[in-house]
Amino acid sequence: MKNESLFEALSARARSESPPSVDVASRVIAILNAEQNRIERMAEKPLLWLAAASSAFAVPAVIVAIMVYNASTGPLYEISQAIAWVVQ
Amino acid sequence: MYSYPSNMVLSILAGRIVSLRAERLLVEFVYSLMDSEFVAEDRQKTNASLAAEREDVRLSRQGDSDAYTRLIKQHQSHVSRMLWRFSRDRLVHEELIQDVFVEAYLSLGSYREKAPFGHWLSRIATRIGYRYWKQLARRGETESFSLAEWDQLPGKSPDDIDPGQAADLLHRLLAQLRPRDRLVLTLRYLEGCDVAETARRTGWTKSLVKIQSLRARKRLEKLFAQTGKGLKE
Repeated sequence: MKNESLFEALSARARSESPPSVDVASRVIAILNAEQNRIERMAEKPLLWLAAASSAFAVPAVIVAIMVYNASTGPLYEISQAIAWVVQ
Repeated sequence: MYSYPSNMVLSILAGRIVSLRAERLLVEFVYSLMDSEFVAEDRQKTNASLAAEREDVRLSRQGDSDAYTRLIKQHQSHVSRMLWRFSRDRLVHEELIQDVFVEAYLSLGSYREKAPFGHWLSRIATRIGYRYWKQLARRGETESFSLAEWDQLPGKSPDDIDPGQAADLLHRLLAQLRPRDRLVLTLRYLEGCDVAETARRTGWTKSLVKIQSLRARKRLEKLFAQTGKGLKE
């Protein structure tokens, strides 16, 4: 077939074509760095939320603990003061 | 002029033949020695570059960007040559090359080092190029092709045609086919791959490549037969 042989001859001719020269190294590395940063940011996010939640629980817990400590140690302190006065 | 008895002529002739044979054998032996030295030298160089490449792959897996830059610089012209068959638009071509190296980096974990890194990249490049063609086909974007250009060719000898012009014409002609047919014909004819290489690059079996080549050639013949009816212009 005439067209087919022409197709084959053109293909052989096209094989000797040289493609345009390219240098994509810096762009590929930039894309990969951006991707890496995005992944790291995504990975850090749950840790941030965990830290915020734990501090939100921790602050009231510390306040309550101080109040309880004061309430529980106050009468004892007064009793010890009273005992010291009687002994004198 | 000397005249020799016939038995003496025969003995001289036989001796000459023997010496010629010995000479030829000696020359062949010397050439084979030289060849083996060159082959050994080439093999040493190849082994050294393969070892360096493996080391770069190992370092890249650990996140060393310099090592991956070396790999890109080493293979980008090869990948560029392959993807120039998939898109002749310079911007798209560069984007496709970038995609190949980004995808290769993200799947470095699956590279088993059974074949050279370049072979593995060529599979990824073929997959990405094919995916790009399928996207174009889904969007219905077909590159223009004028039959007048093809009709003008028989007057010219293929050797007189510029390789770029020939590649461009074939690229647009094959764009009229379905991506699957286009892929197999591009690899077999434009890239000059044999059945085994086409199978390796597409991930198809050898028998599928043969069947697909046959079908694609038939569709191409049909396309040529439509000359009178006209193609998409």
